Amino acid sequence: MADTITEPTTDTVLEVRNLRSGYGTVPVLNGITFDVRNEIFTILGSNGAGKTTLLATLARLIPVMDGSIHVQGQDVSNMPAYSTARLGVGYVPQESAVFPDLTIMENLSIGAMIGKRSTEERLEEVFDTFPDLRTKTHLRAGNLSGGESRMVACGRALMQDPQLLLLDEPTAGLSPLYVEQFFETIELIHKTRNVAVLLTEQNATKALGIADRVMVLSLGEGSEPLDAGDVTTERLKEAYKL
Amino acid sequence: MLDWLDAFLISGFFGVLQIIGLGLLVHLQMGLSRVANFGVAGFWGLGLYVFGVLYIKVDWPFGDPFQFLICAFLATVASGLAGLLVAWLIADLDVDGALVGTLGFATVVLILATTQTELTGGATGLGGMRFPYDLGPAKTNEFVWVLITTVLVGAILLYVRWVHRSPYGRLLIAVGTNEPLARSLGKSTTRAKLTLFATTSALMGLLGAMQGVMFRFLNPATITINITLAALAGLILGGITRVWGAVVGVLFTVGLFDIVIQFYAPLPQEWFTQAIPVAREAVFGAALVLVLLFRPKGLLGEMKRPQLMRRIHDFN
Repeated sequence: MADTITEPTTDTVLEVRNLRSGYGTVPVLNGITFDVRNEIFTILGSNGAGKTTLLATLARLIPVMDGSIHVQGQDVSNMPAYSTARLGVGYVPQESAVFPDLTIMENLSIGAMIGKRSTEERLEEVFDTFPDLRTKTHLRAGNLSGGESRMVACGRALMQDPQLLLLDEPTAGLSPLYVEQFFETIELIHKTRNVAVLLTEQNATKALGIADRVMVLSLGEGSEPLDAGDVTTERLKEAYKL
Repeated sequence: MLDWLDAFLISGFFGVLQIIGLGLLVHLQMGLSRVANFGVAGFWGLGLYVFGVLYIKVDWPFGDPFQFLICAFLATVASGLAGLLVAWLIADLDVDGALVGTLGFATVVLILATTQTELTGGATGLGGMRFPYDLGPAKTNEFVWVLITTVLVGAILLYVRWVHRSPYGRLLIAVGTNEPLARSLGKSTTRAKLTLFATTSALMGLLGAMQGVMFRFLNPATITINITLAALAGLILGGITRVWGAVVGVLFTVGLFDIVIQFYAPLPQEWFTQAIPVAREAVFGAALVLVLLFRPKGLLGEMKRPQLMRRIHDFN
């Protein structure tokens, strides 16, 4: 994979070096290296490429077998997930992303257990980003549609005041209308809140529309990150190893 | 003064209160944070025995009520520490492992109570405890003790309600439904579980100490798995995730048999010695099977969140 990684710059939020991780003793990721600056960084890959494993590892929910992860310059390779979250990492998994027994309001407020700003202030910002949630705060999260659940999960991560937002296939299974809306919202979050976004996607066309840089993950190995503007079908095929 | 009151009814009511208290605490463990506990009798029994042994065997320089307060406090601390240790040991185990681990702890407590004859009196038991007050006849003292226990169980109920409404309670619910996701929220889920298990185990120990005073006797036959089963059956029947689940469930099970049928059912006297105790366990089992088949969330249904949680300013 990318041997010609550039040195971290001052706005580098995440540095991943030769990362190996997996389940038990079986590695899924085989030496991934990349940086995320204050940008939207998209990881493309087909099913089974290791996208979910990568994001769960970055959120420190899966142990690192080898290599390192630095968040805001701090080595989090051996840190527990809660300490990593305190450094400003918000994580939205693809599945089971909300707490079904809690109301929408509780799901959001539970994100505000860390940080200094008032919960009310953060809630207002989340409602500005996801206006549909404002009138449904009393509903059980377990009764929501897929799109609403995704909004709640994303809102909860934003309540943590993150510096880096990890979004695992945020539009998977959503209707085309929601997909369009969600990509616009991700772009809005990045621009208005100054949050670096690392998202995984299968929908290359949509993801490239908002991404600054792209990396393709294939069978646990990552391509060299490409500027989204430079991506061509040929380069994608090469990265996908097709 | 209390001639109208049957002494056995007082102890029957005390037993129901004890099981309600234990059921409320198990609700926090298993209904909120989903930490399995099949060793309720162990934490309760440890409190009972630590209290009893300290009260009877130690030559305290002061009398009651300080002797009671010190011994009850130490019994509470002992059960809390045991809860912390057990929770630490089972923290990374799955439900099956946690059930076996906690059951193992209860078994160890029972074995120690039975075999450490010098300290505990062994299988024959140990007497010598007193009420921390003397209001005259035993029945009056027992009646007042039931009132004090009612206040304690009421306080436990208020604590459970507070936990439900607090950020800590929301974290516990998050841990119970999706621990990996809860870990990414910035709080240690292990610490949350350990704190909960230690606190609830400590309160189980305090209930055990209350039992010691009520019956003034240490008897290993009281710390068997039956007490765990009674608390669990009541809780599951009422609704394991509901604040009032244990109260409703225990009243429908232990309350029905140990008070209503025992004292008010016009049944032949000989039934109460053999048939009723057997029928009691059978009905508990059948009720559990029926509830799990037709109303798996219990009589009160699924978890309801307090209205308060719906307003923004409740979170600041």
